[in-house]
Amino acid sequence: MANLCITSLIFLSFLPIICLSFSPENPTDRRILVLLDDFALKSSHSIFFKALQNRGFELDFKLADDRQINLQRYGQYMYDGLVLFAPNTERFGGSLDLADVLDFVDSGHDLILSADVNASDLIRNIAAECGVDFDEDPSAMVIDHTNYAVSDTEGDHTLIASDDFVQSDVMLGSAKMEAPVLFKGIGHSLNSANNLAMKVLGASPSAYSANPKSKLSNPPSLTGSAISLVSVVQARNNARILIAGSLDMFSNRLFKSGVQKAGSSNKYEKSGNEQFVTELSKWVFHERGHLKAVNIRHHKVGETDEPAIYRINDDLEYSVEIFEWSGTNWEPYVSNDVQVQFYMMSPYVLKTLSTNQKGLYYTSFKVPDVYGVFQFKVEYHRLGYTSLSLAKQIPVRPFRHNEYERFITTAFPYYGASFSTMAGFFIFSFIYLYSK
Amino acid sequence: MGKSSTTKDAQALFQSLRSAYSATPTNLKIIDLYVMFAVFTALIQVVYMAVVGSFPFNSFLSGVLSCVGTAVLAICLRIQVNKENKEFKDLPPERAFADFVLCNLVLHLVIMNFLG
Repeated sequence: MANLCITSLIFLSFLPIICLSFSPENPTDRRILVLLDDFALKSSHSIFFKALQNRGFELDFKLADDRQINLQRYGQYMYDGLVLFAPNTERFGGSLDLADVLDFVDSGHDLILSADVNASDLIRNIAAECGVDFDEDPSAMVIDHTNYAVSDTEGDHTLIASDDFVQSDVMLGSAKMEAPVLFKGIGHSLNSANNLAMKVLGASPSAYSANPKSKLSNPPSLTGSAISLVSVVQARNNARILIAGSLDMFSNRLFKSGVQKAGSSNKYEKSGNEQFVTELSKWVFHERGHLKAVNIRHHKVGETDEPAIYRINDDLEYSVEIFEWSGTNWEPYVSNDVQVQFYMMSPYVLKTLSTNQKGLYYTSFKVPDVYGVFQFKVEYHRLGYTSLSLAKQIPVRPFRHNEYERFITTAFPYYGASFSTMAGFFIFSFIYLYSK
Repeated sequence: MGKSSTTKDAQALFQSLRSAYSATPTNLKIIDLYVMFAVFTALIQVVYMAVVGSFPFNSFLSGVLSCVGTAVLAICLRIQVNKENKEFKDLPPERAFADFVLCNLVLHLVIMNFLG
C-alpha cells in the first residue's frame, strides 16, 4: 500500500513535466539540463539563462561532476535539451559519458556545447563526433591583428569582433545583426566529411589560431576564413547542435560591453552577442525553423476521394499543407520552392507546388504514360529548416482492354481494306463460278 | 539506231507476252484480276501507314495481311486449277475451289478478330 502511494506520488510529481515535454505537435524543447564547471557561471552568464527561463524553459543546473547526473530514467529522457558549459571537465559525474551525450542527440534532442581555451578531451571528442575539430593546441586562441575589438586593457588581440554571419533569417532572426559579436576563445574547423555541420560565425581572413603567450615558431594550423568561431549542426533526425569556441561570448560581461572594431569609427553601445546568442538559441531549441507537413492528399481531377490506384494518363491533383512552428503555435509556411516528384527509380514528373499563402501547397499533373509502382515524394531541405521527406506510394496501371476506343478514326482505311477484300472474295466467287 | 532497236525489242516483247496471255483461259484471267486488286489494296494501305504513322498497328497488320493472304490463296487456287500444270492433274477444280473458300473463311475470321 505504501509502495503504491509512493509510486502514484512520483507519477503525479512528474505529470506536469511529462505534459510539457517535446512532442511532434509541440516541438519546442521544455526541460533543459545545464552542466557547469562552476556554479559561478550561473551568475556570470545570468542574462543568457534568464532569457531562456523567460521563454518558458525549465533549466536544471548541475555541476558537471555531480554524481546525480542522469539523462534518462526508466528508458525515458528526462530532458529535451542539454547545455554543456563545462569546457574543462574531463569526466562527467554519474553515469554520463560521451556515448550517452551522442545517444541523446541521436534520439532527436538538442545540444549547446561551448568549449574554451584548455578545453578537455571529452568536450573536444563530443565536438569531433559532431563534425567540428577544435585546434589541437590546448592553449591556442583565435588571434586577429586587424579585426580585434578595441579595448582599454587587453593588448594581445584575442578579443575579436566578428560580423561574418551566416546569411539565414531562420537561424539569426529577421532583425538585422547590427553590431559585431565579441569572441574570445578557441577556433575550430569543420570536418569536410560532415556536410551537416556549418559555420554560423566565421573569423576574418586575417585571423589565425595560436598561443598568444608564446612566440609563433611554426605557421599556425588554422588560419583565415577556415576558422569557424560558432558552428551549428542539424542532424538528419532534425536534432540541432550549437558548438561555440568561447564560453565568454555567452557571459553578461560581453553581452553588455560596447564594441568598436579596430580601424572602424563605428562604436556600438552594446555588442551583438545578446542578439546573436538569443536568436541562435531560439533556433537550436526549435522555436523557429521547424516544419511539419500534414494533410497530404491526392485525387483525380474532379473527384475528392483518394484512389487506391491510378491509370496511366490520368489527371491528378496533389496537395500538402506545410506549417512552421513559431514557438507557440503552428503558422503557415510560405515559400515558392516546394516541389513534388512523381517518382519510380527516377522522377518522371517534377513540379513546383503553387501555394495559397496559407500553408496549402497544391498542383496538378498528368500521370506519365508508364505503369508501375510510383511514389509522391516531397524532399524539402532548406538551410535552417528541418528537412521534410515525404513519400507516399501509389501504383499506376495500364489501360484495361475495354478502356481503349472501340473504333479509331485513323484505322478506318484498314477496316475498309479488310471489308473490301471480303466483299471482293464474294464477288470473285460468283464471277468465277458463273463464268463458264 | 541502238535506242530505237531497244524500244522495238521491248514492244516486241510486250506484243508476244500479250498474245501469249490472250490464250490464257478466262477463269485464270479472273483470278489474275482478283490478285491484282488485292495487291493494289495492300499497297494503298502501306502508303497510308507511311503517311499517318503506325499507331493502330494491329489494324494495319490485319488490313495488309487480309490483302496479302487473299492474294496468296488466289495464287494457290490458280496453280491448282491450271490445266497445263501436270502436278495437280488428279485434283478436280471443284475440290480446289472448295479448299480456297474454306481457307478464305478461316483467314477472314482471323482478320476480324485482329482488326480492332
